[in-house]
This record gives sequence, structure tokens and C-alpha cells, in this order.
Amino acid sequence: MLESPYVTQYLTEHFAEADYPTLKGYERFGGYAAARKALTEMTPDEVIEVVKTAGLQGRGGAGFPAGMKWSFMPKEDDRPKYLVCNADESEPGSFKDRILLERGAHQMLEGILIAAWATGACATFIYIRGEYAFPAAQVERAVAEAYAKGYLGDNVMGTGFRHDVRVTRGAGAYICGEETGLLESLEGKKGQPRKKPPFPAQYGAFGMPTTVNNVETFSHVPHIIAKGANWFRSFGTEKSPGTTIFGVSGHVVRPGLYELPLGTPLSEIVFEHAGGVPGGRKVKGVIPGGMSMPILPAGQLDVPMANEFLREQKTMLGTGGVMVMDETTCMVRAASVISYFFRDESCGQCTQCREGTGWMNKIIERIERGAGEEADIEVLGDVAGKMEAKTICAFADAAAWPIQGLLRHFRDDFVEHVRQRKCPFPGSFEL
Amino acid sequence: MVISDETRSKIDEAISKYPVKRGALLPAVHLVQADHGHVSKECAVELAEIFEILPIQVMEVVTFYNMFFDSPQAKHHVYVCTNLPCSLRGSRSLLSQLESHLGVTAPGETADGRIFLGHEECLGACGYAPMMRVDDEYHEDLDVEKAKRILDSLGK
Amino acid sequence: MPKITIDGNELEVAEGRTILQALDDAGLLMNGIDIPHYCWHPKLPVDGSCRLCQVEVEGIPKLQIACDTPVRDGMVVHTQNERVKQAREGVMELLLVNHPLDCPICDQAGECKLQDYTYDYGVQASRSKEPRRALKKNVDLGPTIVFDQERCILCRRCVRFCREIPKTGELAIFNRGDHSVIETFPGTPLDNPYSMNVADICPVGALTTKDFRFKIRVWFLEDVPGICTGCSNGCNIHLGVANNKVYRYVPRRNDAVNDTWICDAGRMSYRRIGAPDRLRECAVRDESGRLEPVGLDRAIEVAASRLRRLVDSKGPGVIAGLASAHATNEDLFTFRRFLAALGSETHGVAVVRGEADDLLIKEEKAPNAVGARELGFGDARTVVDRIGSGGVDAVIALGNDALQEGLLGSEEPLANLDTVIVLDTHASELQRVAHVIVPVRHAAEKLGTFVNAARRVQRVVPAVESVWETYSDGEVIAKLGAALGLEGFDGSYDARQVARDLAAANPAFAGIDLDSVGDAGRPLADSAASKAER
Repeated sequence: MLESPYVTQYLTEHFAEADYPTLKGYERFGGYAAARKALTEMTPDEVIEVVKTAGLQGRGGAGFPAGMKWSFMPKEDDRPKYLVCNADESEPGSFKDRILLERGAHQMLEGILIAAWATGACATFIYIRGEYAFPAAQVERAVAEAYAKGYLGDNVMGTGFRHDVRVTRGAGAYICGEETGLLESLEGKKGQPRKKPPFPAQYGAFGMPTTVNNVETFSHVPHIIAKGANWFRSFGTEKSPGTTIFGVSGHVVRPGLYELPLGTPLSEIVFEHAGGVPGGRKVKGVIPGGMSMPILPAGQLDVPMANEFLREQKTMLGTGGVMVMDETTCMVRAASVISYFFRDESCGQCTQCREGTGWMNKIIERIERGAGEEADIEVLGDVAGKMEAKTICAFADAAAWPIQGLLRHFRDDFVEHVRQRKCPFPGSFEL
Repeated sequence: MVISDETRSKIDEAISKYPVKRGALLPAVHLVQADHGHVSKECAVELAEIFEILPIQVMEVVTFYNMFFDSPQAKHHVYVCTNLPCSLRGSRSLLSQLESHLGVTAPGETADGRIFLGHEECLGACGYAPMMRVDDEYHEDLDVEKAKRILDSLGK
Repeated sequence: MPKITIDGNELEVAEGRTILQALDDAGLLMNGIDIPHYCWHPKLPVDGSCRLCQVEVEGIPKLQIACDTPVRDGMVVHTQNERVKQAREGVMELLLVNHPLDCPICDQAGECKLQDYTYDYGVQASRSKEPRRALKKNVDLGPTIVFDQERCILCRRCVRFCREIPKTGELAIFNRGDHSVIETFPGTPLDNPYSMNVADICPVGALTTKDFRFKIRVWFLEDVPGICTGCSNGCNIHLGVANNKVYRYVPRRNDAVNDTWICDAGRMSYRRIGAPDRLRECAVRDESGRLEPVGLDRAIEVAASRLRRLVDSKGPGVIAGLASAHATNEDLFTFRRFLAALGSETHGVAVVRGEADDLLIKEEKAPNAVGARELGFGDARTVVDRIGSGGVDAVIALGNDALQEGLLGSEEPLANLDTVIVLDTHASELQRVAHVIVPVRHAAEKLGTFVNAARRVQRVVPAVESVWETYSDGEVIAKLGAALGLEGFDGSYDARQVARDLAAANPAFAGIDLDSVGDAGRPLADSAASKAER
């Protein structure tokens, strides 16, 4: 089981408690009181209103307002409605959902219950990436406890509200983190994203109205209901309220998880919390929000970690996975690793993505080998441009953005490879 | 029948949890692999019968996902994460040392079929790099000696 | 009906259609308004993955794929502006990154959409210097199709076809990303009655038919519109013709008949045209009982004298006519008129029956069973019964379908007749008992119409000239009528004139002639015969 984060706030406050993952432990700290409050004292619309007022943004990468998403669920519709909890965390650099599953499964389940009440959903499918065997077991155990206690099932907390929770394990495909790829996978198919429209609120899991939220998104909900929208807004920025769990990795003294308010400056996360780069080396660049997000060079680290600020630097918060690269790092190698990943994980449906991810990877690997020409750098940028905003899902964009970011800020690394016909960074991480 | 009665009843139980039968296909493939290590042609035919789909629809699913296999596998699967956060913290050199230790080239398996060694994309352990996944278990904050000991302890 | 504006042209379209469908409905797609596309096919579910058909829709920031964008009233679409062109170029360049570019040895060359679109929308030179994907070549997918994985652009038309049309689902995409490949399940080849359609819908040279590959470069072929004669569905086809030879049948789109498909059996029936067992010359049986080759005039003379002798001795009632459902309406109308003028009342049409399905394949294995019945030919059973009871001395048989089990069963019942006159395209056991044989033309060699099972009149035109001295059935009958001095027969036969006479004589055919019927055919009007049939 993962250690509790280095810095905790309300989400991870009790994660150090050994019994917190159990129902008894969770209730010891007031767990399920928010769900009881929602189900017995609030109408679904009131719940949605509070979440809207709180301004909770989805924590799965896109940052879509959760309350608004819930309100898209059709009200006058006899079909069963579903929630899906996206626990397919696979964005490189991101490992926050894992701890929320391992140590905070009941917190997430409570959030799910509240969302179910708000949206009228009769069941939730928790889709956990296949490699997360231990987190899945923790969730399965928590679900069983909740059923035994009457918090799930035909008569939730004696209110007559019915809600079932199913845990499904994925099988190793990054694309299943895309919500419609996830839905296809949940239905027992290849995880190939669907054309939109129809959106999941109209045609989601098994063809029914569905809301998909990320593990962390659900986990914030009990706190919002228990303590109110204004309390929630006391964390973070005006436009991006609340905390999030930043996962810091790469060249830092203390890699790990840090629950901090949105809007915390990136430099504070990297240098104060994570202890900066070891050995007195300097930072070369930081990927602020998981590998799909464009890199920021050392000079731009003062940016507050909230989308309204990050967008100005042509990047985004994504999943809050902060990857730090020190001055020894070869950015062509970084590009090579990144492009390999996206090539490997493309579902293969759309031409631009299937062919573009492979082409980019081949060009980058050739440049890294010292066999590139300057024209290749142009072609690389052009291929990335051809992939943007033209495919069924945002995967192709996610594959193109980091490469565009590296070309934007570290073009010289590419040029030097071409000129010297070898990698000019002998001290860089190995390939 | 290649799928055992016990597994078959687990599959049926999984099916009962989904509004549509096919929803239990991934769980069923996991169960079949737990028994057989991979999804053989015969398993695919039986799964197709259970789920009322074509065998080729089972195989297109099997071949789509990294954790499913359509050919016999080594006893243990060892994956070193080589994505960027892990690479930044030496996972590639860990992998190459494990390759020499086992005498295999990743991806590949030992001659005795005991261990398959490969690399894998991000496993959600970026803060605890380098790391490897051994079957269902994560081993994090590794150094080479620790990793070798773990591999050596794996049974046949 | 919603009105949309495409490239400045206003178009009224049906509700609920996508942009591509709306253009297809209007006959404008790739015929005035060019929106190149790979994965979209008018008769398959939308896939939306090739991304080539992107267009700009005013008011929507991202380019939209025309195959999956429903029309809305007032929608303004641009299909040719710079942004759209660049997006297309992008897709084309990406598709060529891994394509082997082996056009010189590719059988699809000349009818390859990758070639065509590259020429029209591609970049001048590929900028990729990377090694191309090495995949399987010459994969034997089943009895009819060979697959080249390297040429495949993964449009999934074939996958969708097998799932949606024959519903056999033999094909799927295995793996993912740029490792994706089309595969079959081990031991389950691509083998269904419609398998060869995948070669037609494959936009590139990935799927080719074993039958046609490497036979001839397609640019040497002339596509002649025609009708498949394999069964009474009358699937519309193009006959691929070069050097007076038919090299293949491919389906010709007709939404009222066969959409864009044809069954494999029908497709392969082109081989009947030049088959070695085609009848090549007229023959009459001499006194020693041997068949002797003769010219048509002599054959007509012998047939006429035999029939005349019987009419004179026993009256015309002993002469029976067996019509063929392979003959055109014009042939059959002439035959019917001949029998009436002769005074024979014993006649019927023999139709071979076989397996049917609910897609295209019909039970009656001839193109004109409905036409024959419409023209008054009843069941050949009555003819056979009368032969059995000894009431027949002469038979004029068009074709040999009466040999089937359940009718004649063999040539034996005709062995003792005074006169057997056979007009046929191919050799059969009838030759053993025939006194006069005249080779006639295949549907690919003549002008005329058939009526399909759905009562649609459809035209065949001569795609090739018969290699041998052959005649239309109607022409032979007309000469025979003249030789017998029958009223209304002067020995001439002109299919166009006969069609007009037929239209005048039979209300169901009113207004239909060999021009007005067109390449797409026209529905036959209801008639007494059709009502009786129902």
C-alpha cells in the first residue's frame, strides 16, 4: 500500500490511519455522513446545485465542471441511468488515483453514492486499470463492506434509494481512460473511442444515459456536501477551487504525492515540496500535468497550477502529474520515450493518430540516433499539426501536444542532434 | 471443454453482474487466463459460445489489450516500467541489467519458461521509480540488487 | 426538407441524412462535388475513422467528417477551401507513410482510390524516409480472396461488410495502433456466398479476387452495363470487356435491386459466356442418326419440313413448346406468337430452382422466369405430362432447363419423339435426342430485357460479339415462322421492334421499350398474370 502523501489536506487527511481504508475506520472520521445528508435532507437538484456552486472541476484531465456534467443526465427518461468511475489511471506521471483507491475507497464510494442520488443512477461501474490489482482488491473489499452495511443495494441507508456498484478490471490499454473508450471496454469490446455525439449522457454504458467521472472527482464530493460550497472555494483559485493531488516524479529529491490547493505555483511544488533537483543540478523543463501536456521550460515555473494560468503558457493541468527533468536531460530522448508511448497506445482507428504517432516516433528516434536532418524537424512539427483536432477522440491531440511543446521550447536540442549527428547529452538518462 | 466448470461458474456469476452479457467478457478473459496463461483458439471458441459472439470477436479483444495473450506464456511476467518518469530515474539501466541477469533480451522469456521479461508503459508508480510489475504485484523504489533478488525468488 | 448550401450551391435534402448521404442521394458525390472518402460506403454503417471526408461547416470550429455530420436546415458547408484541402493532404500523406507504393505490380492499379486521391489531393512527394511496416503478403483468406496486409489502409469496409451484409463476420482487426491488421480466426476462412464483394469495396489493392487478379490491367477494360443471369434477382452488373472477351462481372449499383452487391456464384457466372461447352454450330440429324453440322438456313429448312409434316398429318396440337427463362422477353414474345400462329397450345417454361437467401440469391436460377410467365408460359410440368401421356410428337426447346429432376429428368422421355428442335447456348443431353440444333446467344451477346423477381424490367445489351455463329432465340423462331409460312412472320427479327410490339400487346409492358427502360430498369405494371401469381 502506498504511503500517505507528503502533504495532506481534506482528501488525504486521514490516509496515514491504518484503519481508514475499512468502513469502520472511515466512519470513525465521519465517513458516510455526507451521503446520509444528501439522501435524506437534499433533493438531487440541490446536490447538483451545491456541486455547481463549489465549482468542482473534473480531475481526470479535461477539467470539465462536474456539477454541469451531472445536470446533463436526462431527467425525463425511463431508461436505467449509470455512473462510471474512471479508475483507469494511466497517464504517465500520474499516480494519484491509485492512492485514492488504495487508502480512500470508501471516500470515493461515498462520492459515488451522492452523485448517484443527484443523477438518479441505479448503478455505478468502477473501471480500474488491469495492472492495479491491489487497488482493485481494496475497492472490491470496500464495496463488499458497503453492501453488508446497507450503504449499497436495494435500500441504501434505509431511504429506499437503490444503488449497485460493480468493479471491472481493464486489461492494459491507455485509451480506456478516454471516457468512450472506457465505455466500449466496459461493454466487453476493444477500447476504441466512440464518435460523439451521441454523448454518454444520452448514450453511454450499455446504451444508457451515463456520467463518467474520475476517482478523484468523486472523492471531493463528500467534502463539498459535508462542508459546503463556500468552504470548498476557500481552497484553490477563483476559477479552479479545491485541492488536488499532485504526483511529482523525475529528477527531484522527494518524488511522491502532494495534496495542495489548485493554483499552487509549480515552482513551489518542485522546489519547496519535492525538494528541487538533487545534486545541485538545475531544472531544464517540467511537464506540469501528465505526459499529454506540453512541457514548460525552467523559466516558466512560477505559473500557478490551475488551467486559467497554465493555458496562457500553452499547457494544461491535466492530471497533475508533475515530471521534472534536470539539465542533463536530452529532450530528444524525452520526445522519443513520449512518442513511443503514444504510438504503442493509439487504438488505431483514425488515420492521423494511427499513422501519425508511428511516423513521429520514427522521425524522433532517427534524429536521436544522429541520422536526422534539419528538414526532419520541420516535418515532425508538421506531422504533429496534422494530428491535432481532426480525430474521433483527443488522443491524437494528446500525442501531438507534448511533441509540439518540446519543439517549442527545446528546438535547439533537436538541431544539435542533427548538426553533431549524435546525441549531445552524454549525461542524459539512458534509452 | 477447456474452460473448467469452476471457471465457467465464475464467468456466469460475472455475467449476472452486467446489464448486457458481453459486459463480462473482460472479466471472463481474465479468469480464463488465470487458469491457462493465455487465450487459446479453443478457449476463444468456448468464450464465444458463452457470450454468443463470434470467436474472432473474442480474439480482436484479446489482441487489443496488453494484458491478454493469444499464445502460451512464461510462468511469471516481469515488466520494468520504462516510461519517462521511470526512465528519468534509471529504469532502462535496471532493465538491461536484469536482461543480463536472466540471459534474455526483453521482451523475451528465459529458456526454461520461468520468466518473461519485458518493459511496460506507465504503471502509475512514477513517484517510486524505478519499479517493476511481477505478475500482479508492484515492486517499487528498486535498485538492481533488490530487483535481482525478487526475480531469483520466483518459483518455476 | 432542410436546405443546405454546399460550395455556394443550395441543395434541398431529406431529413436525417448526413452530408455525404445527402450528396449521394442527389447523385452529386464525386460527380460535381468531390468529397474523397475511404471508410464511408453508402451501404455500410458509418465508421468515421479514415477522416478523409473532412469539410468545413460554418459555425463549427473544428472540421467535421461529412460521413457522420447530419444535415441541418441552413447549414453552410465548404468542401474545397484551403483548410479542407490541407486536412485532406494531411490524411493522404499519412496513409502513404506505410503504404508499399507497389503500384507497378498491384492489381488494383487503375481503380485504386489511393492512387486516384493521391493524384487529386495528395502531396507531390512523400516526406517519409522511415522504413515501412513489413507485413504479410499474399495471405490466402479463403477460397476467393487474397490479402496483402501492407497495402491495407484499415478502412474496415471489409470487416463491416462481413458483419453487416452476409452476417458471417469472418474478418476483424487484430492488435491496435499501427500494429493493427485485418485477420481471420484460425480455421475460419473468409468463405461466404458474397465474399468477393470485399474486393470491390476495398479502396486499395489489399483485397483482390483470385479469379481476376493478374488477368488484365483494368484500364484495358470497358465496363458494359448488364444484368447477372444467375438467378431471378437480376443483379445489375458491369461486364468488364476487352478484346471481345468478358473478364469479369462486378456489381453495378442499383438501390432498387442489389444495392452495390452481387453473390459470388453470379459473379463467377461470367465464365459461362466463353465456356468450352458453348454450342458452336447448327446441326441436323442425318438418316444414319449422326448429327451433321449445317448452316442456319439448312437447319431452319429441316426443322420447318419436319414440323410441316406433323401439322399436316396430325395437326399442330402434337407440337409442344418449352420456353427458357434465360431467354429475353423479346425472344419469348416471339416464341409465344409463333406457337399461337402455329396453333400449338402445349407450352410452358422450365426454371431450375435452388437455394435462396434473404439477401440477393433467389430460388429461380434464371433471369427471366417472371417475364416468361408474364408472357403466358405456364409451368413446363404440363408439357412434360403431355409428353408422358403420348400426346406430343414434336418439341421445340429453348434451353435445357427442362432436363432437371422433376420435369424430364433426362433426355429419355424425348427419345422417341418424331421431332426435337433445340435452341441452346450450351451443350446438354438434349443433343442426344435432338433432330435440329441451333446455337443461340448468351445474355452478354444480345439486346433485350428480363423481368426480375421483383417485377423490374431490366435491359441487357451486347457486351461482346459471339465468337461463333449464334443467333438470338427470337431470330431463329422468326425464321422458322417464316419458313412455315405462319401469319405475321416474315423472317425478320429486331429486338427493338419486338419490344415495341410487346409493349403494345401486353399492358404490363406498356410504355417500356429498349431505350426507355434505361440502365437502371423500370418496374413492370401489374397484370392479370402477376395477380394470379400472387
